[in-house]
Amino acid sequence: MIKSIDRPTLIASGFCVAILIAGTIYTLYTQGTASFIEPTYLLQQLKIAAFLGTVAAGMMVVILLGHIDLSVPWTIAASAMIATAVGGPWAIPVGLGVGLAVGLINGIGVAFLRVPSMIFTLGVNAVLRGLMVMLTGGFAPQSSATPIMSWLANGEPLSVPIGGGHTWGIANAVLMWALLSAALVFMLTRTPFGRYIYAAGNREAAAYLSGINTRLVLIGSFVICSLCASMAGLLIAGYTSKAFQAMGDAYLLPAIAAVVVGGTNILGGQGKYSGTVVGTILIVLLQSVLSVMQMPEAGRQIIYGVVIISMLLVYGRSKAIRG
Amino acid sequence: MLDSTTHLLSLSGVSKRYGGVRALTGVNFACGRGSIHAVLGENGAGKSTLIKIISGVVQPDEGTIALEGRPIVFPTPQSANAAGVVCIFQELSLMPDLSVADNISIASPPKRFGLIDKRAQRRRAEQLLARVGCEDINPQSLVKNLPLSRRQMVEIAKALGRKPKLLILDEATSALTAADVQRVYGILHALRDEGLSLLYISHRMHEIEELADTCSVFRNGQHIETFPKGTRTDEQVVQMMIGREWRNVYPPKPVRNAPLPVELEVRDLGWEDRLAGISLRVGKGEIVGLGGLDGQGQRELLLAMFGVLRGVTGTIAVDGVAKTIHSPAHAKSPSVGLALIPEDRKTEGLCLPMGVADNISMAALDSMTRGLVVDRALESRKIDEMAKKLKIKFGKLSDAVATLSGGNQQKVVIAKWLLTGARVILLNDPTRGIDVGTKQEIYQLLRDLADAGTSILLYSTDYDELIGCCDRVLILYGGRVVRELEGGDITEANIVASSLNISLTEKAGAHA
Repeated sequence: MIKSIDRPTLIASGFCVAILIAGTIYTLYTQGTASFIEPTYLLQQLKIAAFLGTVAAGMMVVILLGHIDLSVPWTIAASAMIATAVGGPWAIPVGLGVGLAVGLINGIGVAFLRVPSMIFTLGVNAVLRGLMVMLTGGFAPQSSATPIMSWLANGEPLSVPIGGGHTWGIANAVLMWALLSAALVFMLTRTPFGRYIYAAGNREAAAYLSGINTRLVLIGSFVICSLCASMAGLLIAGYTSKAFQAMGDAYLLPAIAAVVVGGTNILGGQGKYSGTVVGTILIVLLQSVLSVMQMPEAGRQIIYGVVIISMLLVYGRSKAIRG
Repeated sequence: MLDSTTHLLSLSGVSKRYGGVRALTGVNFACGRGSIHAVLGENGAGKSTLIKIISGVVQPDEGTIALEGRPIVFPTPQSANAAGVVCIFQELSLMPDLSVADNISIASPPKRFGLIDKRAQRRRAEQLLARVGCEDINPQSLVKNLPLSRRQMVEIAKALGRKPKLLILDEATSALTAADVQRVYGILHALRDEGLSLLYISHRMHEIEELADTCSVFRNGQHIETFPKGTRTDEQVVQMMIGREWRNVYPPKPVRNAPLPVELEVRDLGWEDRLAGISLRVGKGEIVGLGGLDGQGQRELLLAMFGVLRGVTGTIAVDGVAKTIHSPAHAKSPSVGLALIPEDRKTEGLCLPMGVADNISMAALDSMTRGLVVDRALESRKIDEMAKKLKIKFGKLSDAVATLSGGNQQKVVIAKWLLTGARVILLNDPTRGIDVGTKQEIYQLLRDLADAGTSILLYSTDYDELIGCCDRVLILYGGRVVRELEGGDITEANIVASSLNISLTEKAGAHA
């Protein structure tokens, strides 16, 4: 039920437009072109956003519970590396299986052993990294993506010819992200499980005493997060046509930033999925525009950080209610 | 009587209100030198407020305090400490991971060149521990490694380190076993003989008999009477504590001739050292009350029945079928059919930032699900039904439940559980902090539910409520059921007496 568009989503969308306008003024001034508002550029950014968005989608579910999953980077890498090592038709199921296993371990650790998720998933991340180093230490397993993985990431079955041999194509990675998003919105808004995530994120004690199996909710959410990460791993491997160590390291903090910039409360319980989508696009655009503007790395980092903090300050003003 | 020159501390005309609630009204109270003065009263009589005012935690709205004949104001607990008024609160204030010596000198450690002088601190701890007869405690050992009774001694030593003239003990022995209590008495008597004044708050009548020189009774925020020990009988003291007020806000109780079929039966329930050998029955359509002083195991009993606690022994049978309830999710399932209105609605009953509707349907969502999806039409119909039935007042159903008044919030919690169609409803002090009007609605609702065949187990800290609502009342003391009151025997005098675990020979109806 969309009664009104969520306020953080609106603010983040406005910010995306502002970034594009600022970038366009810059390029018009320096190069005389408006390359940031050309469809080819935007479609390319959307494709890049699909990888981050897939990670952020899973991360959001865990953050809604008031937890965090820091094992995402090496879940991405491990899924992709094992999938490419297996190769053939089993590559994708095995890759997702890695995500499932990591999610179950994280979920059980947090729900039953009651280890704080920040510590437990940090440990799992380190263990995964060690395992992957062991896997590639003695011999070199196959690391190139299977054709299906490449097609899922790069294929453009929906493309519009625009003459001159060029097409505007929507990459499969974007379609995958859209499918995943639709599934998550359905889960969060229509199923009891989605309600339970919000309830447990707001007040786990109240959810538990309402007869909600909060352990199952925790485990389920961590599994969703890890599955999203391994899906992202497979897509990224397809995109770059290779799986490699540390391929996921660049996704952890931007994913958390995307979720939080999208208006999800880092303490859990509040947030809309649409915000995470817009937050992802915002982060990707910001990174891209800053790099095209050839801003020195130091300045880029400062602007990136200031944008995230100032957006959170804007949201903070409107949130008075907490249990 | 209030001649302030002979008294160490005297209060005159002291009043305090919290919002609309009068916690203390025009209290005149004095406490002599070198004596042990006990303060008695029911829950909510104003004892805690009195102590908080004396020790500078809260400020009185009206009235004056005099210490040794001179008027004085304590804006903070520190200023009260400096003037020689030191309080030992009910909850131990020791840091478990620090040593005994560190704890004793925590507020003002002896210093040398600006650094803590560990040796002086240890010597100081040794001296103070010797004063309370605990030379055997090593000042270096960590507080968490000491048994509870020893910690209490450390607490007293710590208080003595502040050089008090008046030492206030709020329920200081409630955590101790009988043997330890005797030791504490010995020490308190020794301190009194050294000239210290002690103000002693307790629920335990026996203790006061043994310990106090003077007793004061409080009721409804008023000081009723002060008398020397031994000049009043137990019956007289209890009467002073309960007063005579009676309000007719309760629906009439049904008259039953035949015994009710048993819906819930608990046999020999135990949990750790908090519950022991509890057996009880609740008939179909019966309201059974749980009474007694705070913290005698009532909360644990309800939580144990609802599957929250681990390691519960004994059996629970619903409708004659024994159940092993291992989680709240299992407890609410249709095969068991329990519901629990928890103690703290803000943290246990509700998700405050979520909407009224989401909160109401939270526990019964399973029953409104078709396939994977919540049937929203069915859900909103049921929510509307409940909101009307309980007359919940709110703006929109999507408004955060935090925006509702306390009474309406509690109605939301009750609505949530009524939607599950529970056969047995457990309530943990459901009317705490709720306005009288809503209380009355809740009493009526409980009776209506019972008449419709729901069994109700109601724990209340308000004796009036137990008398007005319940068909039977069980009194808990020290994790056991010590008395069962039925019909005309449910009087305030009987409840108070059994709560204090003393036996009165009062006959039914004498106080109704």
